[in-house]
Amino acid sequence: MMQKKVCMLGGFAVGKTSLVRRFVSNVFSDHYHTTIGVTVEKKSVTVDDRDIMLVLWDLYGEDEFQRVRDSYLRGSSGYILVMDGTRKATLDTALALQQTALRTVGTVPFISIINKADVRSEWEIDERTIEQLRAQGWTVLFGSAKLGQGVEELFVALATQLVHAAPIP
Amino acid sequence: MKSRPGNLAPHNESLFNAVLSTLDMVVFECEEDSSEFRLQGLPPEWWRAWVGPADCTMLDLGRCSPFLQEYLTSAHLAWAGTPGATEKSGPWTEPDRQGGSMTLEATALAIGSKKLVLIERLGSGFKEMGTIVQRARERMLAEERTAKAYRKTETHLISKLEVSERTKDDALALLQHLGLAALVLDERGHITFASDRGLEILGMTAEAVIGREWEQALPLPEHDRMAIRELINTASDRRKACVVGIEGPRPSWVEIEVHGDPCHPGRHIVIVHDRTELHTLRRVLNEQASFHDLVGKSPAMLRTYQLVRDVAQVDSTVLIEGETGTGKELIARAIHSCSSRKHKPFIAANCAGLTDSILTSQLFGHKRGAFTGAVNDQQGLFEAAEGGTLFLDEIGDIPQQVQTALLRVLQEKEITRLGEAKPRKIDVRVVAATHHNLSEDVVRGSFRADLLYRIRIARVQLSPLRERREDIPLLAQSFLGQICTATGKTIERLNPDTLRLLMSHAWPGNVRELKSAIEFAVISCKTKEVLPIDLPPEIISAPVVPSSSVWIPLPNRDEKSRFLAALSDAKGNRTEAARRLGVSRATFYRRLVELDIDPR
Repeated sequence: MMQKKVCMLGGFAVGKTSLVRRFVSNVFSDHYHTTIGVTVEKKSVTVDDRDIMLVLWDLYGEDEFQRVRDSYLRGSSGYILVMDGTRKATLDTALALQQTALRTVGTVPFISIINKADVRSEWEIDERTIEQLRAQGWTVLFGSAKLGQGVEELFVALATQLVHAAPIP
Repeated sequence: MKSRPGNLAPHNESLFNAVLSTLDMVVFECEEDSSEFRLQGLPPEWWRAWVGPADCTMLDLGRCSPFLQEYLTSAHLAWAGTPGATEKSGPWTEPDRQGGSMTLEATALAIGSKKLVLIERLGSGFKEMGTIVQRARERMLAEERTAKAYRKTETHLISKLEVSERTKDDALALLQHLGLAALVLDERGHITFASDRGLEILGMTAEAVIGREWEQALPLPEHDRMAIRELINTASDRRKACVVGIEGPRPSWVEIEVHGDPCHPGRHIVIVHDRTELHTLRRVLNEQASFHDLVGKSPAMLRTYQLVRDVAQVDSTVLIEGETGTGKELIARAIHSCSSRKHKPFIAANCAGLTDSILTSQLFGHKRGAFTGAVNDQQGLFEAAEGGTLFLDEIGDIPQQVQTALLRVLQEKEITRLGEAKPRKIDVRVVAATHHNLSEDVVRGSFRADLLYRIRIARVQLSPLRERREDIPLLAQSFLGQICTATGKTIERLNPDTLRLLMSHAWPGNVRELKSAIEFAVISCKTKEVLPIDLPPEIISAPVVPSSSVWIPLPNRDEKSRFLAALSDAKGNRTEAARRLGVSRATFYRRLVELDIDPR
């Protein structure tokens, strides 16, 4: 089975771990528990009748306390940039991390998701900004780990890109 | 599990194992030929528990976690021969066999040619660090939430402020559009707002009034300031507007309304209405409706007022012509008051019914002993009026001899007292009056033509009251006020029927007759308004004369009939008959002689 390393990148408390746990175990906790280092999870998805094992590297959130180590990113086939719609600053973090990832692993498939769609009325990231991201070539999805909205679609979408990007064995 | 001691512990295996146990880590050495990792020394318990009961002397990459697998297969600088280099993997979390998890960290290093990997379980120190980071992030999140709440509140308040500002701007625009002049006073009486129109009316700038106490800012006379103060202190339901005068380079009259601010008790809204134009118009109207002691606003009277003003500007002799009771003496007084002689005497002399000697003496004075009874030197009226005006009423009645003397005085500007030879210079303006048609008198030979031309340089002809009936209400109201003030009676108005009777009466005695009638009515009146019954009987019973009719002077025969009728009605009482005809007793007697009526 094809196995692909996928890094979850984003600022702290944007919901990276929640998205992974919702995707892998279909659970969600309102309690915030910060990730230190990295937790690796696996789950297979089927794309175009092909099974693909996603090895999800749930990295700690980047902030002034912790910078993402390049070594964690090495070998990634793709990555997911997670933002918190209610905190505009997480968009800046995502933009910086995307540059880090580009520098470290080169041009690989990535998808961004604006999490916390369950509280859309409180979003600080507006439509104009989202349109600007899309204009830059970003795939921007909306989702809610809390409600499970857009989670499966997120990982399947990246897996699809990974499959199409990878040479057929 | 038994480890195979390698080259790392050649001398003292037990010491090496004790060090590993103390550091709580597991050490693997990469075998040169197979690239497999072999355990060095004794592994700690957690490692055994994690890898399970299988032989753990070799690290099976296939069974390793993806993280460790990647780490071990990566090229590390430490293994590339860099002396003293170590390379940490960074923490990663692995599930354990008990359903929990543990966080590990690997370190790659080389000793000599040996490639080593140390794996340690991050324990309490790591947990403490994790707790600190967790707290720090929770705190940051909380602060972000607080900041966001502040921003939200700020945005809300700014939005409300904007709405409020917009409302204020709209209200101001409306205020300006409506031209409403308003001031707002705070609890201390300081002006906090003034609309553009308000400033315009007050003739002031915003800088001059905003922030200042109204009493200091507004240029008001003291009594007006008191009136506004009283207005502010009066309960709102009993407040009435007051009109005050604004002093300054452009004086104005404003009506002030004071309202309590419904939103802020203690504050006041002052509405200012410009009443200057109204005030000016009212003044003009009042000036038009009266002139000195003359009352009337009919076109005839307005023309008379203007004529008086014009005549007053020159020093010529004036002849005032008009029926009895039309106010000839008032006109003479008005001419005097408007002239440059107003601060000098005004002397009035009635020339009717006087003999030539008495009249000569009165006008020119006499010397002691000039005639029987002349016990002292006496100056005449001309001398008494020196510098001023001498009003000669009924000039048409003066004897021929006096006419001659008067002509000389007017020509020479000098008089000679009776009994004296030396003339005296005089500076007197003569204003004469008559009810006669002097031109006819000249034709009849009873009045000297040269005297007529001398005195008739300027002429004022007074219309009879019947020809200016529109002045009757104004005159009647004016007399009512005067008489009430004099008598102390309180009569507010004339009943409409009363006024109708007054309007329809012929008024042969003109204004004098009207005044007498009102006086009569005030005496009779028992209510707050003058009723028709209060009027003199001849007015009540007189046939109604259509107001539009033009009164035509009666020929002598008809006038004789009226005099006879009046005498008859008054049962021979000549004073009463004169009153009924609206003429003075002197005129009545004179007319009796002229009309050849025997009063008996």
